[in-house]
Amino acid sequence: MEILFSVTVAVLVGTGIYLILRARTFPVVMGLMLLSYGVNLFLVAMGRLHSGLPAIIKEGVDYTDPLPQALVLTAIVIGFAMTSFITVLALRARGELGNDHVDGTKDREPGR
Amino acid sequence: MLLLFLVLLPFLGSLLSLWSAHQSRSVCTWLTAVAPAVGLVLLLSQGPAILAGELLTVHWRWIELLGLSLSFRLDGLSFMFALLVLAIGLLVILYGRYYLSGKDSHGRFFSLLLLFMGAMMGVVMSNNLLLLVVFWELTSLSSFLLIGFWGHRSDARQGARMALTVTGAGGLALLAGVMILGHIVGSFDLSMVLAAGDQIRAHALYPVALVLVLLGIFTKSAQFPFHFWLPHAMSAPTPVSAYLHSATMVKAGVFLLARLYPALSGTDLWFVIVSVVGLSTMTLGAVVALFKHDLKGLLAYSTISHLGLITLLFGLDTRLAVVAALFHIVNHATFKASLFMAAGIVDHETGTRDIRVLSGLRHYMPVTAALGLIAAAAMAGVPLMNGFLSTEMFLNESLQQNVLGNASWLIPVVAVFAKVFSVAYALRFIHSVFFGPRPGELPKKPHEPPFFMRAPVVILVVLCLAVGVLPALVVGPLLAAASASTTLAPLPEYTLALWHGFNRPLLMSATALILGVGVYAKRQVMFDLWNKLPPLSAPEVFENTLHHKLIRSARWVTRTLENGRPQSYLLLLFVFTISLAGIALWPLANLQGSRPLMPLDFPTVAVALTIIGAAFATVLLHHKRLVALLFLSVVGLGVALAFARFSAPDLVLTQLSVEVVSIVLLILILYLLPAHSPRDSSYARIGRHVAVATAGGVGLGLLTFAVLTRPFDSISSFFLEHSVSGGGGTNVVNVVLVDFRGFDTFGEITVLAIAAIGIYGLLDGMRLFDPKRRLLRNFSREKHSMLLSVLNMPLLPLALLISVYIFMRGHNLPGGGFIAGLITAIAFILQYLTNGLQWTNQRLSDNFHPLVAAGVLIAGLTAVASWFFGKPLLTSAHDHFHIPLIGDIELASAMAFDLGVYLTVVGATLLILQNLGKLKPLTGEQTEGGA
Amino acid sequence: MMAHWITFPVLLPLATGVLLIFMARASLDAKRAVSIISTLVSLPVMGVLVAQAMGGDYQVYALGNWQPPFGIVLVLDRLTAMLLMLSATLALPALLYGIRSDDKGGRNFHPLFHFQLMGLQGAFLTGDLFNLFVFFEITLIASYGLLMHGAGPDRTRASLHYVILNLVGSALFLIGVGTLYGVLGSLNMADLAVRIAAVPAGDAPIVHAAGLILLAVFGLKAAMLPLYFWLPSAYSSASPSVASLFAIMTKLGVYSILRVHGLLFGEQAGPLEDAVDRWLWPLAILTLVFGAIGVLGARTLKRVVSYLVIVSVGTLLAVIATDDADLLAGGLYYLIHSTFITAALFLLADIISAQRGETADDLVPSRPLVQPRLLGAVFFIGAISVTGLPPLSGFVSKAAMFVASAGAGYAPVLWAVILLAGLVTLVSMCRAGSTLFWNSTAEPPQGRGADKSKLVAALFLLIMSPVMSLWADPLLAYCGATAEQLTNSAGYIQAVLGDTGGME
Repeated sequence: MEILFSVTVAVLVGTGIYLILRARTFPVVMGLMLLSYGVNLFLVAMGRLHSGLPAIIKEGVDYTDPLPQALVLTAIVIGFAMTSFITVLALRARGELGNDHVDGTKDREPGR
Repeated sequence: MLLLFLVLLPFLGSLLSLWSAHQSRSVCTWLTAVAPAVGLVLLLSQGPAILAGELLTVHWRWIELLGLSLSFRLDGLSFMFALLVLAIGLLVILYGRYYLSGKDSHGRFFSLLLLFMGAMMGVVMSNNLLLLVVFWELTSLSSFLLIGFWGHRSDARQGARMALTVTGAGGLALLAGVMILGHIVGSFDLSMVLAAGDQIRAHALYPVALVLVLLGIFTKSAQFPFHFWLPHAMSAPTPVSAYLHSATMVKAGVFLLARLYPALSGTDLWFVIVSVVGLSTMTLGAVVALFKHDLKGLLAYSTISHLGLITLLFGLDTRLAVVAALFHIVNHATFKASLFMAAGIVDHETGTRDIRVLSGLRHYMPVTAALGLIAAAAMAGVPLMNGFLSTEMFLNESLQQNVLGNASWLIPVVAVFAKVFSVAYALRFIHSVFFGPRPGELPKKPHEPPFFMRAPVVILVVLCLAVGVLPALVVGPLLAAASASTTLAPLPEYTLALWHGFNRPLLMSATALILGVGVYAKRQVMFDLWNKLPPLSAPEVFENTLHHKLIRSARWVTRTLENGRPQSYLLLLFVFTISLAGIALWPLANLQGSRPLMPLDFPTVAVALTIIGAAFATVLLHHKRLVALLFLSVVGLGVALAFARFSAPDLVLTQLSVEVVSIVLLILILYLLPAHSPRDSSYARIGRHVAVATAGGVGLGLLTFAVLTRPFDSISSFFLEHSVSGGGGTNVVNVVLVDFRGFDTFGEITVLAIAAIGIYGLLDGMRLFDPKRRLLRNFSREKHSMLLSVLNMPLLPLALLISVYIFMRGHNLPGGGFIAGLITAIAFILQYLTNGLQWTNQRLSDNFHPLVAAGVLIAGLTAVASWFFGKPLLTSAHDHFHIPLIGDIELASAMAFDLGVYLTVVGATLLILQNLGKLKPLTGEQTEGGA
Repeated sequence: MMAHWITFPVLLPLATGVLLIFMARASLDAKRAVSIISTLVSLPVMGVLVAQAMGGDYQVYALGNWQPPFGIVLVLDRLTAMLLMLSATLALPALLYGIRSDDKGGRNFHPLFHFQLMGLQGAFLTGDLFNLFVFFEITLIASYGLLMHGAGPDRTRASLHYVILNLVGSALFLIGVGTLYGVLGSLNMADLAVRIAAVPAGDAPIVHAAGLILLAVFGLKAAMLPLYFWLPSAYSSASPSVASLFAIMTKLGVYSILRVHGLLFGEQAGPLEDAVDRWLWPLAILTLVFGAIGVLGARTLKRVVSYLVIVSVGTLLAVIATDDADLLAGGLYYLIHSTFITAALFLLADIISAQRGETADDLVPSRPLVQPRLLGAVFFIGAISVTGLPPLSGFVSKAAMFVASAGAGYAPVLWAVILLAGLVTLVSMCRAGSTLFWNSTAEPPQGRGADKSKLVAALFLLIMSPVMSLWADPLLAYCGATAEQLTNSAGYIQAVLGDTGGME
């Protein structure tokens, strides 16, 4: 199980990184989302894996580690905010720069 | 007190002359002259005491922790230099009043001059090495402004830049050297440093310190190979040259040689370096001077040569060398200042400084000619002039010394050789300019300058003669005091007199004089030889080769690194992080920890495979954006399922709702972006990226596995124990969010709020690229699917009800403000999508700013409320309530906090999406650049 | 009430921001008034905090009354107080400058500005690693908004790069924190420090890796080699007030390294001690070198200043890497100095370029300025200070660092690099100055003189330099005490966790 889980995380992060390295804004955004999926899974796993355990207090039951879940929740929300921003920024960049290349227009000489 | 005043006077004066800039020229001049005049009087008032060998010091604290204090000293050496600085400064001011044209701002010029004078005074009077460095750098800075006074001229800019670069660099070296000295001695206090000579010389760091300090000195005193800046500083107004290059700026270097003589000298290292550098500089300067056609250029190189002579003297290991050096410093200051002024007069009255053009000026300006003649004679070391005496002493010492071992004989020989040339160029300065036939066409009709412009020259020349004839009477005591305070040792016997009888030095002088005349007579031969040499001009070397090449390569480096391509930045970020983490993980003995593995089960495998498959599909199909997006959402759902599988119900709900909203957002955006990504990366690049991606994925995978399989105890048990009792909720995750770690959540909704207003700012007045108007149609067309809207009518209230439910149970069961908020938001979004913007806006406020703010505000108030119960921020309270339908719940103050969360989420989401909907495409068509 | 002062640096800007959002549709002047008032109010508050921290005892504030390591704590020590004061003092002129022009450029300048402050100050205060992440995100999202403020192609491009990089950075931050939690089971920094000491040798590499991942995250923020390439375009294209405020953003990264790594991988970390410094030293030196090269090669004044920011980061990181308390004292003084002076230069560069027409701040001959004398003098002072020439704060900090490190083993490298960087700065400032103020074309100056308030804002920042050198002694004393407090991580842990050591 742990192996499978790790593989899944690996795939999500790997694919994420690859897309982030693309030259167009939209794939980059998708890549960032993949990356954050991977990271969120990773975070949850930091409380170790448990199946069928509630995080709800009942008598005489064992619990999962609630803290990582809380962290992931925060992470998801912040991730949502960030994703929305970069998405709209991509849109704006398209408008300002006339294309959706991450470099923007490339005719400018760098270094100035 | 008086000492501090002496140093401060010029600075005050500089303000005064700046203030009087708008007065008439004369008023400005007189006001400027006040400071040095008063200073001179005060200084002389101390004369008797100093000449009697007293040492005056004052001390104020400035930065104790660094050992940097405002402490000044006045002894023979600093007295002598202060005298030069003030007296010659005064003459230069007088001279400058007539030299400068009406266009130049006198106020500015004089204030800069006084600024420089103050810095010089500070250098010569500092009793703290660090303080000395401070003033040292100030001289570089103020001289930069003086040399660049005519900044509109490119040669002035260049000269100024060169001077500051070279001397500034030297200053840095000096700073380092002084730091080491301070480290060795344990104090920057000059008196202590001078007393600690043996300790310094014995220390392991002595060579380093010595070299660094000497670097500072040589750059300042224009010693070979750092001499090149000085000739180009000649683009400064002549008064400046007369001041900087006779008495002050360049003398600062040799002053420091004298000042630190007791602390640093006396080792072979010192003798060899100083003497060799001095010797080569003296020779080089003397030779080159002869071939300069510009009057000031000639004087510049002669200055270099004489500074070399002085340096050489400090490098000689004989008894009287130091006395000779100090003596020559005074003499050089007097005759060189007068020569510069004379050259300036020529320039001023004829409009040119080119020796080849000038000739027979004695017919027009006999007095000036006479003055120039005497000064030049002093420079050449002709008897009856002061220059003669110090040169004699120098030659005498050159015979006594033994610093170069077997090669010591070189020094006197080279000395005579150099002297030959100095005679020759002195002759050229006089003969070619003032004698010979009347000149041809000159820019101006030459005539004598106004009396007061000549007056300073007269005074200086008289001094030259006075010293030359009656040395013992005129400078004897001063020299004695200076020498004594320099060596800090009893002076050897010596006599200052015009006549020492026939001796070898006299012989050497005589030969030099005769040969010099010969050389001058045969100069044409020399010039032909010289012109055969490859031309080598300092600005060429410095500006083009050094400067520009350096800058060009710097630009190249910058361009290659900071190439404006985020792809390479990201690549670097990934590679950097992965390799660091990898190297750290390498020594990990066993990857798998002791924790038993969980068994696999089919549903999990299925979910995992879905995620993996969808993720790969997203990548492979990312060129077809819509398709890729669909697969992306599948991944999202898969992740939600994974959360469900590993008992994280809250995460499931959150993940799902976020997923929906984000995907909706992305789809909206996609309407406005190209539907396809062109394949524009080379296979090589793709290969690189795949490699990095794999490394990253595998790396994190291994890390995950390593951690997962390790046993672990965390602080969470505490949360489980206190959730009900302390947090008043059985949904521990939610309690952690709104109570234990409420501060995080507080920050999190702030992020959301900021994002909302940030995005609002982005969308505001955004120029849309898309000529196709799909989004607009989608959002604003009024006729829409009947069915959907019919479904939607009841959907909204229903959704709202659900969210209220989710919200209320949140504290005890999976749910909570955030999820509820998103559900509400989704419901509204559906309204937009189906009923269109206008329709919805008629029924709904279109400004969500207050909603967002209210959300954060409520959360904040809840947090602050606890203060009034004397508890820290965010402390929660809770109690039982019975609410129909939902049942008996424990209502915690944290729920008010959660309400804030809810409102913020709704507000933020709607603010974003609604304004997206409002976007108006450009009417002006644009081309699909790049896409 | 005194106990709650510590929360003001977070709550005050937050409240201001919220209020300003409410006022979204109100008049600009009203917003400006609120904005300025809040900034003014924050100064005395910070003063109180500095006064509280000066004595040298830590102030620990348990949020939600949950004792550490379980709840989140705010910790106030000398360093935090100093940085809070710095940020508040920096904010005032930046805002003043913004009010004269930038805030018209787009929506919500003022709320974003205050949220930015909230994020910075919260990050300086928090004693919890995950909470630090949250505050990082607040600063980031606010900075995204501010950076894009006013838009324009260059700005948009720079923002795009900045945002993408930092989103990845945030992901890495989560990985780092997660790993630490996964191995050590805590989030409170002090508690983590304690637990690291007890970590079994088998798990040490994992912790080490987490530490280095966080180094990359903070390095990205601090603009450390090889992660600084986003900075020059971002800072030189941002609106001046934003750029000057950002002068402290890189310092946040530096602070995080100083705090987190200093605490977690301090002397109590056993085998993992200086596991990070080992990497930090060469990286810092290289950052300095390449920063200097950038300064030399820059073609516009704003880019010169941007690279000067990188030089300052390199210097600071090098100082931190040596792990030498005396040197750190000088370093902290330098931190304050470099923040003020670079901020001042950003504003100055804008004032100058405003008078040069379309040539703006390109370092090429152009029409003469309207106020060459005035601006020339001001620029000269700024150049002296940033170059580290006497008698201004730049020189004092350099001297302080040298005095502290004289004779040390690392001194030759450190001195050589710092001095060379100084020389390069001298050359570049020389070039820049002589081009901007002397080498002007024949055409007559156009336009009006600089706006008074803008000038005041720039001067306010510039004046700090002589002031810092006049009162160097008390300031250096404070920095010394701060450094001494920082090197004693045991004291911090003791203060946060009490005697329990927080293991249970």
